[in-house]
Amino acid sequence: MYVYLYDNFLSNKKFDAIIKSMEVCLTDYGIAGKILRLNNFIDVKPIIDDEIKRGATTIVIVGNDKTFGNVLSRSATCKVTFGFLPVGPDNTISDVLGIPINLESCDVLSRRLRERLDVGWVNNRYFVSQLHVYPSKIEVDYDEKFRVKSENELEIVVCNLQPFFWKTDKKDRNQVQVNPKDGKLEAFLRPAKKKKWFGKYVYEQASVFPFEEMIIRSDKAFEIEADGKKTKEKKIKIKLAPSRIDVIVGRERKF
Amino acid sequence: MIFQKPSSEIALEKNTEKEPMNTSQSSVDDSVDTIVGPSVNVEGDFASAGNIIVKGTVSGSVSTSKHLLAEEGSKIMANIQAGSATISGIVKGNVKVKDTLIITSTAKILGDIKVKTLQVDAGAVVQGKIIMSMPSELTEKSTSGRSSFKRKEKKV
Repeated sequence: MYVYLYDNFLSNKKFDAIIKSMEVCLTDYGIAGKILRLNNFIDVKPIIDDEIKRGATTIVIVGNDKTFGNVLSRSATCKVTFGFLPVGPDNTISDVLGIPINLESCDVLSRRLRERLDVGWVNNRYFVSQLHVYPSKIEVDYDEKFRVKSENELEIVVCNLQPFFWKTDKKDRNQVQVNPKDGKLEAFLRPAKKKKWFGKYVYEQASVFPFEEMIIRSDKAFEIEADGKKTKEKKIKIKLAPSRIDVIVGRERKF
Repeated sequence: MIFQKPSSEIALEKNTEKEPMNTSQSSVDDSVDTIVGPSVNVEGDFASAGNIIVKGTVSGSVSTSKHLLAEEGSKIMANIQAGSATISGIVKGNVKVKDTLIITSTAKILGDIKVKTLQVDAGAVVQGKIIMSMPSELTEKSTSGRSSFKRKEKKV
């Protein structure tokens, strides 16, 4: 049995036509199912657990990167297959998973080509796409073997599914593709110096470290963002949870 | 004709599309290299299964089974073990390379080098012993040559 989780933004009128055509397509394939609409304040985990008890075998996330991250960060422990129907803008993960955007994604879902993917773990919660540590004076220990320091503040992006892309630096425009099945997370780290005028940051060339376990610590609390959720921490432990989620992927996947 | 039901032939044609066997995995190597940026200091046992590019400072030890590239301006205060290496920066420590070591004109190595194949550009500075492992064929020939010489001696 299929259960569809629709993101809140899909209630916007401009998505009505595409959602209707997708629903028709899913009915034609014989994989239509229960539809649940998510609100910003809903915890998805108990909902998915309930649906699994009622016999759900596949949970399909309908939305964009943010929806995918929000749902899977809370429900990565659920023993169920996850599908993804990317709709609208802000969809980069779908490209990695080989799922076309909008109507064509139903075709991929119906084929049920499944892969087990790695997930990141940070301070008792999972993250699927990306973890961002904003520029701050931090020290990083990798796999309990070596320590990375810089005289300047450091900004870190830990990638699992979402392609790496520094938006502000003209030099680093090339996207780095990461493999969510390689048994490693990739940390992209670059020193940042604050300019006197307007408090803007000047970035230096990025360093890249593939790792399995990483500890970031600082004397002062630093801001992190995991799958869109921002928190402040003094010490975080990031680990890899290998082959944690079962996801339906497309033929054109990047791994 | 437009509303004709799809015939079994057409349906079969659709099914004959074969799943590509992850061609991207074999043709494109998407493994990310380890890069130490210019203003980053790394302390400890720095090991990687993939290629390493050093632009900053590393102290402790460096080891990889693949290629190590120490760019101009890099400082490695560590013993190095690598599959192959190209060094253009400063190295204080012993260097052990399985295959080929290229020392460019801007490189300074203060330590012993153990390597199979060595290429040194003009202007490079090396202070230390260089040990180059002999190819197995050559060592066999040399030992067999000695034994034949001994046999000859006995005959005389």
